[in-house]
Amino acid sequence: MSNRDSLLLYKLFLILKYLRKRRIAWVSLIAVTLCTAMVLIVISVMGGWLRMFRESFHAVAGDVIVRNHSLRGFPYYQEMINRIEKLPDVEAAAPIIKAYGLVNIINGASDGVQVIGLPIDKIAQINEFPKSLYRQYQQLIDEADDKTNGLTSDQRAKLRARAAEQAKHPSFDLPLKCEDYKEVLPKSTNDVCKYPGLIAGAGVLRIHKDQQGNIIGRGPQLYRYWIKLTVLPLEKGEKLSSTLPPAETFWVVDDSRTKVWQYDNNTVYVPFKNLQKDLDMMGTPSDPTDPARTSEIHVKIKPGANLITVRDEVQKTIDQVMADHDETVTMFPPEAETWEQVNSLWLGAIEKEKLLVTFLFGIISIVAIFLIFCIFYMIVMEKTKDIGILKAVGATSSGVAGIFLGYGLTIGIVGGLLGLGAGYGIVHNINYLHEQMGRLLHVQIWDPEVYAFDTIPNTMNTHEVIVIVSIAVIASVIGALVPAIRAARLNPVESLRWE
Amino acid sequence: MTQAIPTTGPAPASSDQPILSARSLKKTFKMGDSQVTVLKSVDLALKPGEFVAIEGRSGSGKSTLLHLLGALDTPDEGQIFYTGKDIAQYTAAERSHLRNTQFGFVFQFYHLLPELNVIENTLLGTMIEYSWFAFKAKKHDLRARAKELLTQLGLEHRLKHRPNQLSGGERQRVAIARALMNKPKVLFADEPTGNLDTETGRQIMAVLESLHRDSGQTILMVTHDRTIARAADRTLILRDGRLVAPGEH
Repeated sequence: MSNRDSLLLYKLFLILKYLRKRRIAWVSLIAVTLCTAMVLIVISVMGGWLRMFRESFHAVAGDVIVRNHSLRGFPYYQEMINRIEKLPDVEAAAPIIKAYGLVNIINGASDGVQVIGLPIDKIAQINEFPKSLYRQYQQLIDEADDKTNGLTSDQRAKLRARAAEQAKHPSFDLPLKCEDYKEVLPKSTNDVCKYPGLIAGAGVLRIHKDQQGNIIGRGPQLYRYWIKLTVLPLEKGEKLSSTLPPAETFWVVDDSRTKVWQYDNNTVYVPFKNLQKDLDMMGTPSDPTDPARTSEIHVKIKPGANLITVRDEVQKTIDQVMADHDETVTMFPPEAETWEQVNSLWLGAIEKEKLLVTFLFGIISIVAIFLIFCIFYMIVMEKTKDIGILKAVGATSSGVAGIFLGYGLTIGIVGGLLGLGAGYGIVHNINYLHEQMGRLLHVQIWDPEVYAFDTIPNTMNTHEVIVIVSIAVIASVIGALVPAIRAARLNPVESLRWE
Repeated sequence: MTQAIPTTGPAPASSDQPILSARSLKKTFKMGDSQVTVLKSVDLALKPGEFVAIEGRSGSGKSTLLHLLGALDTPDEGQIFYTGKDIAQYTAAERSHLRNTQFGFVFQFYHLLPELNVIENTLLGTMIEYSWFAFKAKKHDLRARAKELLTQLGLEHRLKHRPNQLSGGERQRVAIARALMNKPKVLFADEPTGNLDTETGRQIMAVLESLHRDSGQTILMVTHDRTIARAADRTLILRDGRLVAPGEH
């Protein structure tokens, strides 16, 4: 009896025999394969989409953001920045103003936008915003990536290096000669060459991608566009200022595609000082009761630093500055938040969407468990006499149960691995398959404009793969569990009499 | 087919102590709302090397008795002793082991696994007994023994055939080979010729007689056929739930 609890040969032997000979079991195998592949594809695409969104949101923000939820902003920001930059885990900090305004592009219809005032010379130290600019960065990358222009790999590398260098020094500088601007506005009595530069979200300029991902609307005249911007300054008490400033005219110097819808379709970027002046946030240098204000401070932390710790340190610093100026009691105190907290509404929505879709597909996958249960139950019924024979020649009840559990386990492992293979193949070629589907069936599921990304996410997360394949294996064993228990409990004599 | 099968492992025929015995066995089955007592009080002693036939009409409880004695089922009352030990004291796993290593079964309807070929069916009990590694280590010897048994039974040309490719007589000979593979101390035969024509049945009986005569195999056979029962050393009649000697009332 020494070997009876060990790895018994007949179980493996019969599992393999049944797997090969009982083709009905292949239906369960196919069900497990399809369900595994389906859940893997959904999770990979949704997860990839979420990851890309997170990257995009993070790319236009500092790691820690100080804000006070008031359009009037908060004072003493420069002093705060000076102290924050002295914190050991902080790399840089910069003020940013966010406001609302009206834009009028070349005397067309006016449109409401979010206006962001950037210290452009410092923004590259804070986030990846410069890489969203077409003229100053993306154009060079597109050229380097264009496989039809006949460039050598060395030339492409140089273009990429140049783009990277330019991204370190973005600017609002006018791209054309002074004469060109005068030519655009010949009747203007102002010095049009002194109009400041403005970067517009691509959507504001009606630049968009078609369903094939081609850029539409970025014509050669783009940098001859002028934009009149009207902003709405607030007085103390959060009231709209009684004296609205005149519209300020800007030249379009670039367009930005951050891949965040709210920014790309609804935002223009102007020099920090211009917006501060237009919003009457410059303060009065001679009046200590009217300091200059900003609406946000974005902080870049050093690599490896703990985000939460730095956030708390920043909070302490700004509290200290406010306390130094006896500003401890204010209706809208500035607060430090992480970039994830600031964007939690959007990121949370996508995370919930991913969870919901995964849950729905998970429910569909329960069908596979039920299918395995039904098929295994059928097999056990069909094999009742065989179970009697096995017991008659010495198989134990646990041994018989082991055959069916092992059968389920094998189907789970093989189905899970086949599903992984199918899922991997589909996810990694999903853009090619999508392209072919569009070409052959004229079906376009992924609209680059709607989803903000040109391509469907096509990477798999190892952790998610392990979890999903493990669930497939466990589910298959669960599906086989009840039939296995029934098989184990069969009386050998009754089984032998089974017809 | 009538040649000797030398490789079985019976107990010595000289011992007077019964290898298998039953005392006051009772078995009742539920049939709808009523209960039918198939075995009322069965006493039996099977000595090593003995060939005993139990004869009885259809439905008399012959197969039930064989299942009880072969540890496939349990009696409602009474005791069964194997080599002096009450098998009611065995655990379920020990009873399985008993069936695997000490007993061999030949059934009326052969009961071969349809997915397995002749040699695989023959090796089934051995595969249950051994682990993967132990089987691998003895694979050559075990396969040689299976082939030898099948050759003795005239099936050497059918080793790779599946049961559905064999005649009834051939299937029953495969069942005999499977039963003998683990050298059982007791061979149980439940109507071994019941599903065969006369000539094939005669051949199967010749195999059993040869096993008993040449190798001293202990055999307990149940049958409804008196001519078949004559092959045994001793015949008992199962009548009204009791075992009686022929001519006894």
